[in-house]
Amino acid sequence: MSQRHQYAKELGGTWQRRARFAWVVAGLIALPFVATPFLLDLVNQVLLASIGALALTLLTGFAGLISLGTAGLLAAGAYAVGVLVHEANAPFWVTLPAAAILGALLGLIFGLPSLRLRGLYLAISTLGLHFVVIYLGGEYEAREILSTGIMIDPPSIGRWSLSSGRDWYFVLLSFAAFALLISVNLQRSRTGRAWRALRERDVVASAIGIDVQRFKLMAFIVSATMTAVAGALFAYFRNFVSIDAFSLYLTVQYVAMIIIGGMGSISGALLGAGFVILFPYAIEAIAGFLPARFSNAVFALDYAAFGVIMILFLLLEPAGLLGFWRRLRYSLSTRFGRPLP
Amino acid sequence: MIDASSAAPLLAVEALEVAYHRVAVGLHGVSLRVMPQTIVVLFGNNGAGKTTTLRAISGFIGLDDARVTAGSIRFAGLVIENQPPHANTERGIVLVPERDKVFPNLTVAENLAVTVSHRASARERHRLEALVFQFFPTLARLRSQLAGLLSGGERQMLALGSAIVCKPELLLIDELSLGLAPVVVEDLVRRVSNLKQELGITILLVEQNASVALAIADYGYLLENGRVVLEGPAADLRGRREIQQSYLGQASGEERRSYRALQRRSSERPDG
Amino acid sequence: MSLQLLANIVVLAAIYALVSIGYVLIYRVSRVLNLAHGELMMVGAYLLVATADLFSGDPLVALALAGICGLVMGVVVYAVLMRWMTGEAVLTAVLITIALGILLRGSVILIWTTQQFYPSATFGWRNPPVPIMPGVQISAASLAVLIMTCLVYVGLFIFMQWTRWGLRMRAAGQNPLLAELRGIRLHGVYAFAWGLSTFTASLAGMLMALDSGVESTMATIGLKAFPAALVGGLDSLLGAACGALIVASAEIAAIQYVNPLLSDVVPFVVLLIVLAIRPWGLFGSREQLDRV
Repeated sequence: MSQRHQYAKELGGTWQRRARFAWVVAGLIALPFVATPFLLDLVNQVLLASIGALALTLLTGFAGLISLGTAGLLAAGAYAVGVLVHEANAPFWVTLPAAAILGALLGLIFGLPSLRLRGLYLAISTLGLHFVVIYLGGEYEAREILSTGIMIDPPSIGRWSLSSGRDWYFVLLSFAAFALLISVNLQRSRTGRAWRALRERDVVASAIGIDVQRFKLMAFIVSATMTAVAGALFAYFRNFVSIDAFSLYLTVQYVAMIIIGGMGSISGALLGAGFVILFPYAIEAIAGFLPARFSNAVFALDYAAFGVIMILFLLLEPAGLLGFWRRLRYSLSTRFGRPLP
Repeated sequence: MIDASSAAPLLAVEALEVAYHRVAVGLHGVSLRVMPQTIVVLFGNNGAGKTTTLRAISGFIGLDDARVTAGSIRFAGLVIENQPPHANTERGIVLVPERDKVFPNLTVAENLAVTVSHRASARERHRLEALVFQFFPTLARLRSQLAGLLSGGERQMLALGSAIVCKPELLLIDELSLGLAPVVVEDLVRRVSNLKQELGITILLVEQNASVALAIADYGYLLENGRVVLEGPAADLRGRREIQQSYLGQASGEERRSYRALQRRSSERPDG
Repeated sequence: MSLQLLANIVVLAAIYALVSIGYVLIYRVSRVLNLAHGELMMVGAYLLVATADLFSGDPLVALALAGICGLVMGVVVYAVLMRWMTGEAVLTAVLITIALGILLRGSVILIWTTQQFYPSATFGWRNPPVPIMPGVQISAASLAVLIMTCLVYVGLFIFMQWTRWGLRMRAAGQNPLLAELRGIRLHGVYAFAWGLSTFTASLAGMLMALDSGVESTMATIGLKAFPAALVGGLDSLLGAACGALIVASAEIAAIQYVNPLLSDVVPFVVLLIVLAIRPWGLFGSREQLDRV
């Protein structure tokens, strides 16, 4: 059976899987029509975040290359849009590809240290690059005297412009689905296997003939391109670009997504994105019940709670929500004496 | 101190099984006895399980993601398998590891001073340190030298010295002669024998070089693939043709064969 | 280059040097990168705010008390959190320190709000500029930082080379397994290293509090000092001091001759250059790279 045929068969699967798939698709299409605007906005945020989370999973989860540069890359994509709009009023079909190209270039630069450094030292180098990118963005804002950032009009074709929650939902869903497709494909491809070999032991990988350098750079470039595009979408989604939004905390949130979700897995990335995005809203809800000094400083409460949650996951469940779910399923199935679906 | 005249073994290992979390190789039922104030040697090829056995006895096996899954280890009657590592050190079981056996950026004197042993009072420590310099005059001469700059033989002496300062009852030595020149080994072997004599410590020694091993040992165990395949007093082992062929024959450049293979072959031949 | 500029470099270098001690101590002894160091320094500053309120008439008592709390804080952080990471992957430990930093930042604002505090005002102390040479002056607090940094460096050097605990810490850093084999309890050594590290961090925080006040954003100085430690080789105290001088020189020079906005990014440019040319730093060794 040819590769393609087998792949299609796997995707199609049995009758049951096809039915389940159809239900999911139907649900996804129906969602924006039944959800409240607030809920829809939440879903949109999660979809947007999952693109970045998938990108980080590719890099760190699959290829084992530690990167703390996510915020810098998001900023780069957002700034590609911001600068082109501010300088030349460029339309989205120019800014988005520009963001992607900038992402790829930065990916190459962020990836160069990985040829020599590993683990902690690699993470530190990406940290340094993050600060350089942030500085450049700040420089631009200072020079152009944009103390409150750059305003971005919604992307438009002719008279229709992308501004409603529902329209954004479908756009973001498409981008997220595309990112998902790329990730799944890469995972199964030769590249994905090479990345897995890299993650395990790059010394051994090179010994068995894998061109370690090429695959490392590829991982960085693909991941950075995806992240930059996500950053560009950010800019349009918020109608606004400011360098203050891209702090180290943002990077940590994305790292938390892949840890909390479950490192190295695609569904983990999606779970983690959902968790981290929704978390502040949960905290805000709880803050209402707390004394005034806490409810007045919700962002600080958010920080502190986020720190606690991240520590708890790292200490108790390093395999993330996926790991937790698997253990739960296992203990339940042994309790009831049969495997659960 | 343990009464040397008692017939009870200082160390008794019974049907020990060790499983590694990731690597399959382990121990499949090793039994051995170490009588007080004797030198017992474990020998065998790489991967036979010698180091694993020592690690299990020393208590530092958890670091390799391994644990004792069956059998027992008794030291002076106490059960000690799967205990926290420092518990065994405090009981007097001191291990000289195969690699990384000294602190390279500390001087010789600092290497001896840095050990912590609640078994020895301050006076005893001083006495033991002086004893080490007495046993190994070279170390006394190199007192202020950085341990990382010592030669292989000197490093081994220092490793032994730092173990002695911990006042061991049972000294576990992983690979005494590995990587050392024959002249150095001869000297080392003599000193180890003296150690046993003068300090009355018991030594369990792992050695790949059987002739070295059998020269000082009182008793020996041959390990292969995680099992004891041969044991006996050193004098007996020296005479066994299989040992000579497969292990002592290194000098003549013969290929190493497994003891089992030799047994099979010898049982096929008419003269046995 | 004027003498005043030189003085500024030395003062900045002293701050970076004092802060980077903490990174070096923990990394050298336990191979963990403590990225919460800046936040721990910030907590030290806030501790002084608290003790200054209690002992406004007795600045020395307030300072001493804050220092002791700083030391205890490090031991507690190890005992409660970091001890579980001993033996685990280094990256997980580093991620936990990042999470700890975030937790501390949030907590500090929850307890003290975003208001700025001036403990020197609580003590009634003016922080006058001190002329140390004709035409050159630095603030009194900066002079204190200079003196403190020298004292701490000398004290630590003596401690590491000539005391028993210092010897054990050095040994544990070189070969943790052998240390345990020879009776050195790693948990005790690591806890002590953390305590010393947060003590120096608190010291730095307190001095900076007396100089320019306390605010939750002061934690970023911690991250800026990190390149100094890295340039020096991450496990060398002397290296950290040299690194601090290099980073401070580059930063002041850039502010003076190129662009004041560069001040926050210059340390990281130095970091990138070092990583590109000689990742193991001035006094480190190549093997360090493979350890992680």
